[in-house]
Amino acid sequence: MKPSSRLPWLAILTVLALLWLLPFYTMLGNSLKTMREISQSQYVLPPRGLELQNYFVAFQVLRHGLVNSALVSVPATILAVLLGSLAGFFLARMRLRFARSIFFIATIATFLPYQIVLIPLTQFLATFKLVNTRPGLIIAYLILNTPMAALITATFFQTIPAEVQEAAALDGCGPVTFYWRILLPVAQLGIISTAILIFTLVWNEFLIATAMTQGPFNQMATPVLAGLRGNYAQLWHIQMAGATLTSVPPLAIFVFLGRYFVSGLMAGTLKG
Amino acid sequence: MPYTRAHVLLFLGPLLLIVLLMYGMMAWTVAISMSDWVGLAPVWKFNGLQNFRTLVVGALQERFFTNLRNNVIWLVVFIVPTASLGLLLAYGLDLSGKAERLFRPLFLYPLTLSFVVTGTVWAWMYDPEAGVINNGLRMVGLGRWAQPWIADPGLATLCLIGAAIWQYTGFAMTLYLAAIRDIPRETMEAARVDGASDVQVFRYVVVPNVGHATMIVTALLILITLKVFDLVWVMTFGGPGISTEVLPFFMFVATFRQQFVGIGAAISVIILIMAVAVVVPYSWWSMRRLQV
Repeated sequence: MKPSSRLPWLAILTVLALLWLLPFYTMLGNSLKTMREISQSQYVLPPRGLELQNYFVAFQVLRHGLVNSALVSVPATILAVLLGSLAGFFLARMRLRFARSIFFIATIATFLPYQIVLIPLTQFLATFKLVNTRPGLIIAYLILNTPMAALITATFFQTIPAEVQEAAALDGCGPVTFYWRILLPVAQLGIISTAILIFTLVWNEFLIATAMTQGPFNQMATPVLAGLRGNYAQLWHIQMAGATLTSVPPLAIFVFLGRYFVSGLMAGTLKG
Repeated sequence: MPYTRAHVLLFLGPLLLIVLLMYGMMAWTVAISMSDWVGLAPVWKFNGLQNFRTLVVGALQERFFTNLRNNVIWLVVFIVPTASLGLLLAYGLDLSGKAERLFRPLFLYPLTLSFVVTGTVWAWMYDPEAGVINNGLRMVGLGRWAQPWIADPGLATLCLIGAAIWQYTGFAMTLYLAAIRDIPRETMEAARVDGASDVQVFRYVVVPNVGHATMIVTALLILITLKVFDLVWVMTFGGPGISTEVLPFFMFVATFRQQFVGIGAAISVIILIMAVAVVVPYSWWSMRRLQV
C-alpha cells in the first residue's frame, strides 16, 4: 500500500485558501485605512492603523438599512419557519395521500427564480398599500420562503423515529400537541438550521428589496450598500466599511453556528 | 395519529394558500406578457405574442440576444469551474485529515455573504486604476499583466463570473465532500491497498461515485445563472454599454426603470421556460426521495 502523502494536498489547499481569503482581506483591511492611505492608492498593504471613523461614516448611511433588514428578516424568518414547519410536519409524518404531489408543487415554487413572480408580487402588495413598507417586505419574503421552509423541515422531521409519534398517539396526543410539545423540541436542530438558512437568504436578498422599496428610510441594507457604490465612488474605505457592516450578521452566524448553517444548506438542496 | 379536516386546514392551509398564490402569480406574469402594458398603471390590452416578437425579431432583438448570449456564457463558464474546483477541494479536504476543520470554513464563508457585498468588494478589486488586482500586479513587477478587467466589454462578464465562482465553490465543495464521505471507506482503502495513487483513486473511485452530487450542483448552479442580477447591478450595471447584461437584469430594468412592463413580463416568461426545464425534473427527483 502506497502511503498517501498529504503534503501536496495541503500545499494546494493553502494556496487556494489564501486566494479565497484575498477579497475578505481587501474588504476588512481597506475598511480600516485612512483617507490619506486611500488617496495615495495604498490598497494592497495592510492598514497602518485602525481608522474606526470609517465605520462611523458608513454606519450613518447604513443605519436605517440595517435596522430595516433586521426588522424584516427576523419576523419573516420566524413566520416562514412556523408556517412551513406546520406543513412540513403533515407532509413528512401523516401519510397523506397527496403528500408527494404537494411536495412536488412546493419544490417547483421554491426553486423558480424570483423574477417570474416579481411583477404580480409588486402589484399584489400595491393593492394593499404595502409597497415601500416593512410589513410589505415581510409578506413578500414570507410568501417566497414558506415553501422552502416546509420542504426543509419535512426532510428533518422524516428522520425522527416513528416510535416517538406512535407512543404519543397511544397516550392520546393529538397533532397540535404533538407538533408543539414533542416534534418542535425533538427536531430543534433542524428548526434552527432552517431558520438560519432563511434568515441568511432574506438578509442578503437584493432583487425584491430593490423592487419594493425606495428612499433611505425604507430600504434594507443591501440596496443602501449598492447605493454606496454611486455616492461614495472613490471612497473605497467607506464602501468597504459598509460592506463589512452588512456582512456582520451572516458572518457571525457562520462563525458561531456554522454547523447549523451547513446542515441547513445541505437540507436546502433536498438531497435526501 | 388520527386527525380531522380542521387539522389539515390548520397545518397545510397556509402552505397551500401560499403555493396557490405563487402559481397564480406565475400565470399572472404570463398574462401580462401578452398585454401591451407600458407605464405605471396596468393596461390589459391583449396583444398576443407581440412582446415576444419585439424581443426575438423586433426592435429589441440585438439587446435580447446579447443578454441571452451572456446567460449562455454564464452557464458554461460559471458552472464547470465551480463544480470541478469544488470537487477537487472536497477530495483535498477528505485527504487532509484534521486540517479539514481549518480549511473548510475558508472556502465556505463567501456563501454567507450577500451578492451585493461580493459585488462591492470585487468591483473594486477589478477596477482598472484603483483596483487591488492591478495594483497588486504592479507591486510585484507584473504590471504588464494588468488589464482593464470590468471596463473591458470582452472581459467584463468573465470578471463577474469570477466573483460568482469565488462565492459558490464552497457550496459545490460541501455537497461533494458529503458525497465523498458517503463512499464506503473499504472501497477507497481497497483501491489504495491495490497500489492506486491519489490521482487514480480520484479518477476511478471518487468521480464515478459522486454523480448524484454533480446532478444537484449542476441543477442549482444553472438556477443561479438564470437569476443572476445582484452582481451585474452592483458591479457593472450591465455595462460597459450592455456588454454584461443578462436576462434577469434586463427584466428588472425594462419593468421598473423603463416601465415596459409587458416586455419585462415576456422576459420573465422566457426565464420561466428555461428554469422549468431544470426545476421540474429536479423537483420530481426530490419528491421521489420523500418517504411517505
